[in-house]
Amino acid sequence: MNEIDIVRAVTEEGYQISPSAVELIKSSISPESLLKYVLSTIDDCIFVIESEHIDLKGFEASKKAFDASESPSLTLSRAQSGNMSAGNMSSGNKPSDVISSPSSEPVNSDRLNNSEKVKTPGSLSDSLEEEGSTLSVETEVVSGFDIPHNNPVTDSDISFSQEPASDIAAHGSLASTVYPSSGGIEKQVSSFFGEAGSKSFSAFKSASRADSFFSNEGALSSSSRAEGVRHISGLNPITVLSDITGHSTCVGEYVQFVQYFRDRYSKLSEILRGRMNARPIESLKKRSFRRGSDGGNEELSIIGIVSDISSTNNGHKILSLEDSTGSFSVLIRNSDKELYELASRLILDEVIGVTGSVTNDGNLMLATKILQPDVPNSIQHRTGSHGKVVLISDVHVGSSQFLEDAWLDFLDFLKGESDSEEMREIASQVRYLVVAGDLVDGIGIYPDQEMELDILDVYEQYRKAADYFKEIPRHIRVIISPGNHDAVRQAEPQPALPERICADFPENVTFVGNPALVDLDGIRILIYHGRSIDDLVASVPGVSYHEPAGAVLEMLKRRHLAPTYGSRVSISPEKKDYFIIDPVPDIIHTGHVHTLGVQRYKNVLLVNSGTWQAQTEFQKRVNLVPVPARVPVVDLADFDVKILAFD
Amino acid sequence: MGETIASEEMHRYFDGLEARLKEAIEIANRARARGGDPRPVVEIPLAKDLADRVENLIGVKGVAEKIRELEARMSREEAALEIGKQVAEGVVGSFPSKKDAVEAAIRVSMAVLTEGVVAAPIEGIDKVDLGKNDDGSQYIRIFYSGPIRSAGGTAQALSVLVGDYVRRGIGIDRYKPREEEVERYVEEILLYKRVASLQYTPSEDEIRLIVRNCPVCIDGDPTEEAEVEGHRDLERIGTNRVRGGMCLVLAEGLALKAPKVKKHVNKLKMDGWDWLETLIGGAKSGESDEDEQKNKIKPKDKYIRDLIAGRPVFSHPSRPGGFRLRYGRSRNTSFASAGINPAGMVLLDDFITNGTQLKIERPGKAAAMSAVDSIEGPTVRLFSGDLIRVDDIKEAYEVRQQVEVIVDIGEILINYGDFLENNHPLMPSPYVFEWWIYDYESVCSEKILEKDLKNPSASLALKLAEKYNVPLHPKFTYLWHDINRNEFEALRKFVAEKGTFLEGEGEGEGEGILKLPLEDSVKEGIKPVLEKLLVLHKVKEGGIFVEEALPFILCLGLDRSLKEKVSMPDTGDMVEAAGILSGFKVYPKAPSRIGARMGRPEKSDLRKMSPAAQVLFPISNAGGMTRNLVSASDYTSCMNAKIGEIEVELGLRECPACGKESYFWRCECGEFTNPKLSCPRCKIDVRGAETCPKCGRKPTSVANVKLDFRPIYKQAFENVGERERMDIIKGVKRLMNGQMTPEPLEKGILRAKHDVYIFKDGTVRYDMSDIPLTHIRADELGITAARLRELDYKEDIYGKPLERDDQVVCLKVQDLLLSYDGAEYMLRTAKYVDELLVKYYKVEPYYNAETIQDLVGVLMIGLAPHTSAGVLGRLIGFTKASVGYAHPFFHASKRRNCDGDEDCVMLLMDGILNFSRSYLPEKRGGKMDAPLVLTTRIDPKEVDKEAHNIDLLARYPLEFYRATQEIKNPTEIESIMDLVSSRLGKPDQYEHFMFTHDTSNIAAGPLKSSYKTLGSMIEKMEAQLSLAGKIRAVDAPDVAERVLKSHFLPDLIGNLRSFSRQRMRCIKCGEKFRRPPLTGACPKCGGNVVLTVHEGAVRKYLEISKEIGERYGVSSYTRQRIELLDYDICSLFENHKVKQLGLSDFMSGSAR
Repeated sequence: MNEIDIVRAVTEEGYQISPSAVELIKSSISPESLLKYVLSTIDDCIFVIESEHIDLKGFEASKKAFDASESPSLTLSRAQSGNMSAGNMSSGNKPSDVISSPSSEPVNSDRLNNSEKVKTPGSLSDSLEEEGSTLSVETEVVSGFDIPHNNPVTDSDISFSQEPASDIAAHGSLASTVYPSSGGIEKQVSSFFGEAGSKSFSAFKSASRADSFFSNEGALSSSSRAEGVRHISGLNPITVLSDITGHSTCVGEYVQFVQYFRDRYSKLSEILRGRMNARPIESLKKRSFRRGSDGGNEELSIIGIVSDISSTNNGHKILSLEDSTGSFSVLIRNSDKELYELASRLILDEVIGVTGSVTNDGNLMLATKILQPDVPNSIQHRTGSHGKVVLISDVHVGSSQFLEDAWLDFLDFLKGESDSEEMREIASQVRYLVVAGDLVDGIGIYPDQEMELDILDVYEQYRKAADYFKEIPRHIRVIISPGNHDAVRQAEPQPALPERICADFPENVTFVGNPALVDLDGIRILIYHGRSIDDLVASVPGVSYHEPAGAVLEMLKRRHLAPTYGSRVSISPEKKDYFIIDPVPDIIHTGHVHTLGVQRYKNVLLVNSGTWQAQTEFQKRVNLVPVPARVPVVDLADFDVKILAFD
Repeated sequence: MGETIASEEMHRYFDGLEARLKEAIEIANRARARGGDPRPVVEIPLAKDLADRVENLIGVKGVAEKIRELEARMSREEAALEIGKQVAEGVVGSFPSKKDAVEAAIRVSMAVLTEGVVAAPIEGIDKVDLGKNDDGSQYIRIFYSGPIRSAGGTAQALSVLVGDYVRRGIGIDRYKPREEEVERYVEEILLYKRVASLQYTPSEDEIRLIVRNCPVCIDGDPTEEAEVEGHRDLERIGTNRVRGGMCLVLAEGLALKAPKVKKHVNKLKMDGWDWLETLIGGAKSGESDEDEQKNKIKPKDKYIRDLIAGRPVFSHPSRPGGFRLRYGRSRNTSFASAGINPAGMVLLDDFITNGTQLKIERPGKAAAMSAVDSIEGPTVRLFSGDLIRVDDIKEAYEVRQQVEVIVDIGEILINYGDFLENNHPLMPSPYVFEWWIYDYESVCSEKILEKDLKNPSASLALKLAEKYNVPLHPKFTYLWHDINRNEFEALRKFVAEKGTFLEGEGEGEGEGILKLPLEDSVKEGIKPVLEKLLVLHKVKEGGIFVEEALPFILCLGLDRSLKEKVSMPDTGDMVEAAGILSGFKVYPKAPSRIGARMGRPEKSDLRKMSPAAQVLFPISNAGGMTRNLVSASDYTSCMNAKIGEIEVELGLRECPACGKESYFWRCECGEFTNPKLSCPRCKIDVRGAETCPKCGRKPTSVANVKLDFRPIYKQAFENVGERERMDIIKGVKRLMNGQMTPEPLEKGILRAKHDVYIFKDGTVRYDMSDIPLTHIRADELGITAARLRELDYKEDIYGKPLERDDQVVCLKVQDLLLSYDGAEYMLRTAKYVDELLVKYYKVEPYYNAETIQDLVGVLMIGLAPHTSAGVLGRLIGFTKASVGYAHPFFHASKRRNCDGDEDCVMLLMDGILNFSRSYLPEKRGGKMDAPLVLTTRIDPKEVDKEAHNIDLLARYPLEFYRATQEIKNPTEIESIMDLVSSRLGKPDQYEHFMFTHDTSNIAAGPLKSSYKTLGSMIEKMEAQLSLAGKIRAVDAPDVAERVLKSHFLPDLIGNLRSFSRQRMRCIKCGEKFRRPPLTGACPKCGGNVVLTVHEGAVRKYLEISKEIGERYGVSSYTRQRIELLDYDICSLFENHKVKQLGLSDFMSGSAR
């Protein structure tokens, strides 16, 4: 195992490593296992792995312990895998559920009673082992790219439910009880470091719809235990695949911001890594890479998150790219028209790959190629479904500009009571209705909003909305996701509306967070309110409020719903970056800007639905002309879109 | 310099000041000649007159002469407009194009308007350009930039008028905006309000009105990062970013100062500005203007629209119980400062003290407060039930614990001049003693002592009323207009039926006491009526006792035996009713109430930069966060680095004699060095040229150098003969000046020794709120009459020789007072300057001051932010108040008024020794707040015109009081009021000022506003609300709601938002990051990175908001907003999974 491999492995785990620590690992008899041990035991709050973080004693001890407990761990993991592949779609989403299925012993008491656990190390190791095995399952199935990532979720869960796990790990004697689990991880996770790594690498080289499709399939089947998966069966079944609701872990610490961006980088860089052979940025600063063999500069690639964009006096662009090892400046010359054009559309905090050569002083890369994660060309629509989904957003019930007449017409349509035969025909096929945020106008969203409200009480606004939704035929599944006017936290990802509000709505309404990925009987729709469209309009040339689907297209190219941090989108730093567009859905549905737009991009349907609110004072000021009372209806069989007008 | 017109005595005064100034400059020149500074001479030139200042500032030849000529026959503003026209027409100066002429014309006009003092004409106007209307005609565009702020709203607004005046002169058409451009202005200004801040934000319709009608295109360069969202890429507007200069001129200039602009438009008879009428009338309701003409003044709530937590409201707009307007001027009011009784300051929980700024309903928008104890204090109801008026501060301290309700907060003294300055219609004057005395004098020839007239007995008042038909004395005039007919009738009936009148004995009639049964009067709501009327009374033995009650009884239409004498007249006006019933002339006691809330607290504090510095010497990060030179001298960058070697940016310099390079202005050989310029790109030496001959870039001498700091440091100690025993000497991280010229370290050592701090230009400054003062008494300045006589004060205001400490004398225009704290600081500075002279410059000490008394008579420099011209002043005494008292002309010459502004003073010798232009930052605005010139003599003609509207009478004429009843415009009676403007150009412009209301102590009142003494914001807020609950004129729930809406909720929302979009910061090197680095640690220094916004900051006001919302029953809308924010905050900062585990560990997630 050479230096670069170590640095790379560490980098991908989201850490940095000091040269002396690299030396220490290299000098070990089994560097690979040591590295894995280090990565699996390292404290979350450490960013740079120094030599003092490498617990050689613990490693030795753990190796012994691992040998002893190898077989049970394998058994368990096998059992677990079996369980997974059975496609159990139960709503269980906690590690404890997973644990309880294979092991018949009373786990609850184990988890809750720490003293007992220390006395019976076996059960502790079991539970930890489960972590390892579940992770490994995921790792294998998701072709090695959804890496364990030192799984913070489970870590923190354990440390909450038990006495400090890190303490236990730090002490030699106890470490031995912990380690077997790490051994389990090692065994299973090896795919990522070793053979499987290259396997998945090659798989991604030929990135195709099929690959990602399978990987998605895998993610789906294994996601029975993943966060946020809910299945609602029935005539028009839905499965909520990804949703923050109930899973927000943010408590407002710095580390969480770092984790959030690391997750973004690792997920998006993995997509890119399948298409280019990139090195850690740190390695560019080493002599060996920047001196070309015979004067000519060697072409290198890096993958980084854009941390700064500036222009030189001569009109060239300079990007600052950052990965978890360091950052580097990349120059895009304005003579290379095509590349420059692409670069001027880049925005802050998106993840891109760049190929180019490093200048002699080792400070700058001259780019020749820029790669965005984008959607593979070969992606295809899912088929085999039927019926229609109706997409709306920005209803703004309670606003004095709410267009109630048009809205009632729309409800009549859903009820099959339209005047025209054609409309009734369409209505009869409607299976789903999706609302992408801003169900009500809310209160206190902007200064002096009370002057523009008909209903001043926010709960009254929702009750009014609920009354409307009660009119919708019960066979139509309604999915409601919140927006910036709704009574949930403003920071995205936003959880679903609170129970107090949901309770008023009929049971055919399902509330999800924002964003949310939902499977509508085989068709995947990604629902996002669209706050980030404001950012994209301001920073990407050619993207405008008049054609909002263009903004969604830009999201898709970046495989991210809200790339730029610190501008208009408020974020809640979660462990997982919920904005990442992976898997690629069949439909992306946004709203927020009150204009209508439909586009297709590589077989993904992009829809920005309009509004039910007439032009507000604010919109008048910013010259925004809304498109009210227009409803896109998508055919789930052939993705044909019809726009119905209700004014 | 033009001839100063003054009396002999004043000439002596000015000559004396100038002689001492000259002497000081000679000493400083001798000292500086020794080469211890960047230049061997004093760098503050003495300013000549305005005309010269303008010509030098703008650089148009011949302007000075023309200005002098024009000034001789017209006013400053007219001259400014006229000179602009002449420049544009080419009468003065010559320009390559029409555009250049117009540009120069506007700059010249602007400079004249701002007295050639501020930097706005050069830095605030970027350029002037010509644009094309859709009909093919041309219009002018004025590009404003950020520093235009320093010109002040009036000059900003007038610059637009200049533009219009000039364009007419040379035949350019008006600006005809397109509709999308109008909307762009609307969006942009409102956006600017959000990203920066505006003192005044016009409504959308006001903006539309201005843009559609303004004949000149107000344009500007982008100043903010923010971009407009709609109305982008407009053909005639070159940027999508926000143009701050434009926003300022339009909002704080034209919109806010419309009345002033209108005044000039009328004077110049310009057409096309009629729309200003609509603007002044208020775009939102066109009626108010009409109403004021119908002799009615409507409440204005603008001043309480944005309430800040902890700054209490003293009165809602025009509410009974609020400040009662009293016209007049005390020696410490006028010029945007107003007086209240110090007892009121105490009873209003110490929130107001001398220098505290109040936002007021009218006539202006703000005023600084001064203690005036000759006006009425608040009327309060004690817990005992007594209703008493407290005029005496001692009594105020005694009763403050017993106060239950402040029924009336007392009088506020505002002078006529402030109404004139703000062009505000005169509000009806209450019937006050000053007015009554005219009525008395006109009919009564009886000799009565003035004391008795001021405070007559009831019998005297009745006698005068009955015998001479003098209107009822104000003392016995109650606030009849504050009660309605029902209340009046109930009161009358109650007194008749249940009252007992105990006639006084011996003392003549009228001294009797009215007794009312307490229980019944409370039950029947009579006591509140008495309180509304301000009928003072005592409560004892189950009864309410009203002393000297006969006038009151008569006004109710009852006779001595409390029998109904006359039947109730048929009128809704209760003042009239009281008059008819009593048969006396009765006038309204409080027809005009002024609403007010606290603005900002007073200031009296030393100036510190942030972070504070004692010497302008760069040490980069070697001194740690405190920039300590002591630690920099021991600094090692790594293990084997040389001790005390630091890497800093300095300007490379070269000795012209021996060719040696160094970083200091003196070479070892003693020669002064020159900056060694080179091109930053081509790396070639550029000698003398403005630009690089190869690439045309601006050359620089700045270089990153490894400076062997330790020996320099040690040498400096040796040079001044100090021992290295300092704990801390604060340097700076990096120099801001162009050639990176550092200050000599020796100065820092001595400053650290005396614990003084410097500003960016090397001077030591002390900041104080500006308060005007026109008359002084030795006993309140902490000096003696003898000392005053030495300072050329010869007579008191009545022309008597100055002999006693308590004689009132007229303050000389350049004399000023320091707070005691300021004096101590200046004493330390004087000691530092003396040591500097002795130890560093090796000359004689100058001040030799041991106590602050030794500083009396020393010369100082006054300097206001945004200006570049200091004013010479002389210290004559001290005050306990935390403010800087000086003659209004002195403040006006710094272009300040006194509505809560603050500025600084420095010692003259400190300024001329230590100031150097070389230290000034090179960025835009860097030359502001630096003494680039020194005005040595104040010419009232050349000070800010606002000061010309100060009235100087000893009593206002009767016509004045009559005019107020008709709500006349103040300009209508300008000629009968003795104003500064009428004395200009006469010797009396400096002397023989008078005032109408005296005060026994200018520094009376609390020493510090409780806003400053209370701890946390929540404490302040509690105090604010508790005061709101006590004052009758304040609606506490409304205050609570407004504070929540305009302070706490925006704060919560803002912090919540910024938490989720926050920047990160390295705690080691202070580097900021837009988002966290992926490595987690600081990529620069490896230090720990932390959040800049924490949960605590977000939650700070949540609990108190909830609590207050409940306690004061604010609107459910606001309470719901708080509830949602609470929910939002919890959702963001609580781990949902933990909650789930705790609550429903194994419950499977429900379908919905």
